[in-house]
Parts: sequence; C-alpha cells; structure tokens
Amino acid sequence: MNDARARAIGLMLLAAPALVIGVLTVDARSRRAARRAEEPALALVAARLPTSDLALSGGARWLRAASLEEPGAAFADGPALPDPDPAGGAMAPPVEVWSVAAERSLPPRREGDAPKR
Amino acid sequence: MKGSLLAHALGALARRKARSIALGGGLAFAVALVAAVLFLTESLRAEAERARDAHPDIVVQKLVGGRPTTIPASERAKLGDIPSVREVTPRVWGYIFLPALQGNVTVVGAPRGAAPISVANGVLHSGRDLSPGAHEMIAGVDLAHFLGMLPGDELGLPSADPRAHAMKLVGTFKSSLDLWTADVILCDEDDARALLGLPEGDATDIAVTLANPAEARVVAATIVERLPGARVIERDLLERVYHLSYGRRAGLVLGASIPAILALLVLAWDRASGVGGDERREIAILKAVGWSTGDVLWAKLLESILVGALATALGLLLGYAWVFWLGAPGLRPALVGWSVLYPRASLTPVVDVAQLLGVTVAVLGPFVLLSVVPAWRAATADPLESMRS
Repeated sequence: MNDARARAIGLMLLAAPALVIGVLTVDARSRRAARRAEEPALALVAARLPTSDLALSGGARWLRAASLEEPGAAFADGPALPDPDPAGGAMAPPVEVWSVAAERSLPPRREGDAPKR
Repeated sequence: MKGSLLAHALGALARRKARSIALGGGLAFAVALVAAVLFLTESLRAEAERARDAHPDIVVQKLVGGRPTTIPASERAKLGDIPSVREVTPRVWGYIFLPALQGNVTVVGAPRGAAPISVANGVLHSGRDLSPGAHEMIAGVDLAHFLGMLPGDELGLPSADPRAHAMKLVGTFKSSLDLWTADVILCDEDDARALLGLPEGDATDIAVTLANPAEARVVAATIVERLPGARVIERDLLERVYHLSYGRRAGLVLGASIPAILALLVLAWDRASGVGGDERREIAILKAVGWSTGDVLWAKLLESILVGALATALGLLLGYAWVFWLGAPGLRPALVGWSVLYPRASLTPVVDVAQLLGVTVAVLGPFVLLSVVPAWRAATADPLESMRS
C-alpha cells in the first residue's frame, strides 16, 4: 500500500462517521415521509379507538391502555417485572411497616417478662 | 506532514490487526447497543405521540374502591353544559380473554357517527366497514390470522352474557396500523356491550371533547366537582405517561447493559494503553530516524481517532440497521414488551443529524481524550532505553 493510497483510506475512515450520519439521516427522512402518508388512515382509526396507546401489552390488560388504566397495576409487561408506577419497587415501604412485621414475628411474651423495646 | 502521519497510523493499525479489531469491535458493539436502545425508545415515544391528537381531550372514569368501574351513561347530562365542552360521548370498550390465544383482546364498540373506514382510505387491509346492527366485526390482521378467520367467517367470542351474538368478520385492519390495532376487535356498540357484559345504560368511560383544549384543566376541575369520585384523565398527561413508560424501559435495558459495556470499555482501555514490545521498538526507531515527540504523539492519536471513528460509524450503522432494517430482534421484546398478539409493524426513525452527531461526539470525544495518556507515554519514551529493552 503506497503512501497516497493509505492517506486516502485514512481520510475516508476519518470521514466515516459523517458519511454514516448522512446515510442514516436520509434513510430516516424517507421513512418518516412514507409514514406521514399514513397519517390520515391513522387519524381515522384512532378516532374509533378508546386510547392512542400502543397495542404492545395485550397480554397484560392493566397495561394495554397505560394512560387510562389504574396506574398501580399489579404487573407491568409480565410477572415480576417492575410496576409501571414510577414509585414502584424502587421505593422502600415505610419503616413502621417493617417494625410492625418484626413485632409480629417475635415469640409471644410470657407473664412477668420485661417488655421488649 | 499530517497526511503522512495519517498513512503511517493506518499502516500501524494494519500491522497490529488483532489489537485494532478487538479495540474497534468492542467499541462498535457498545455504541451499537446504546444507539439501538436510544433509537428504539425515541421511535416508540414518537409512535405513541402520533395518534395523541385523536384522543379525547378528557376521559372520565368512575372509581369504586379506588378501582375503575363502569359509569352510568346518564352522567353525560351533568357534563354537557360545562362551558367549552363540545361533545360528551359514553364509550363501550373492554377486554376479553381468549383461551385459544391465551391472551386478551380489546373489544371496542364503534362510536356512532365516526368517519367511515375502508380499504380505499388506507385503514383496512381487506373487507369493508361495519353495518350497524348486523353483528359484524373488524379485527387486526394478525388477530384474524391467529383465529384462522377470513372476511366472511363467523366467530362466537366467549362471554357470560346471553345477549352476546356470534359476529361475522367483515374486515381486517391494515398491518401498518398494527401498533394500535393488533389486538382490537371493533364491533357495533350493542355487540360490544353484550360481549363485555355491560348493563344497558352503562359505559366504560365518558369521552369529553372540548372546543378549546387549552381549557382542559378548568373543565376537569368542574367535572370533579360535578361527579365526585370520578377520575378525570386529561390528554396532556399522556405525554408524561409515554415519557415515563418508555424512558423507564430504556433505562432498565441500558442499566442491565452497563456491566457488559463497562467490561468492553475496560478491555478496550487495556488494549489501548498497553504498549507492546514491537510498538516500543517501532517508536524508538521512528525517534532515532528523526521523528519528534509531537510527530509520534500525533501518529498515536491518529491511530486512536481512526479506530474510534470507524467503530463509532460502524456502531451507529449497526444500531440503526438492528432497529429499523431488521426490526430489533432480541432488543424489541426487552424494551417493548411482548404478548401473543405482538404488533409487527416496523417502527419509524425519529433520529436527526443533531442526535446522531451527539452520539458520535459522546463516544469519540472521551475515547480520543483517553488515548492521549498512552500516546504521550509512548511518545516520550527514551528511544535508546526502548531499543535496549
């Protein structure tokens, strides 16, 4: 590989991100234009639907229409997945709940025992 | 001189092919993963927003024990005279579990007076619109396929209500509208009421259309006053729901990918910062034949820039192709969710030059900056010492 050819390949590689960005932008624009042609059909069908929510969670009825359903649904997309409520499982329950549970798990006090603190 | 340095950097990369491929491949994979998640999330959010304008300005539900229940359609009389309210429509819709599918379908009672739909106006894939009172239905094209139905076939959907009638499939929605209609069965309002077991005079919710949507907040407050205990959902809140919903999912996927991305970056850093014996000797010879420290530094930096630029370009291309050309296999179920009736419609990209440039700079910038230290170390090494070792 001679110096000039290597230089040309190097410059092409340096310009690769710009080239890719250009190609992707053109492709995205043409796809958006094709999609825009379907807007009237979407408007017609959307007027008959109860909500504009996407039909992505048909199996979980509480999430089929996320904007209209109860926000604190039991499941998100499936069992054991995080709750759609943003406060979901990331927030711990109040300390009192834990202390009450701990009290309940203690062995029953016998007569004459000192109260536990 | 810079051109010669570039040629030299490319030659050096070619001489250490395995190292360059490991470095560039790892970086390209990490960029592809992050870019694909961003592309998919933005696209989903945009798809969800697209039909938002058709959504009623306000939806009123009745709550009993904190859970939504049916609302008497007669409540509409209490809302019709609120200033700015143009139309109040009780709606009948709900879900039915189909054992054959092991999934729910959404049964929607077609509102009276809605604009007609047909193959000609691009809504239907085949068939025609509903005729009122004829016990007909229109279903998503995949749903009809799953049920083994063609237009003209009849189906009795499971319902405990004796009023429920077998319905004839008269049309299927176009598959490009799958994102909204994949699990939908559209039928006459009376048929929907019977299927869902809704008593006469009850509705699932009430849709309120306003003459001036900007007054939604005020109208919503009036509705709450007139219907205590009702849940009032404004259209403006939808945007927040979509952002929360898809943002959360993207965050989870990216969060789960962090260890993999970190491992790749650590590997890449290790490969980039380690100067091998051959490379040390090469630098020593370059300096011995008159290359300055600056020249060596530039050559090493150009090596990193070449690898980074190619990897970023490749990563962006892979991420885009993964999501929009291949349909995001593997990623789509993790980010979008899944169900039996999974919409297969392709997503529309919303990425623009600014976003793509943002990703490029966010990856290439730190990568090149991180390469300065090893490049400086290599450039300032004593040539005699390097050759002796």
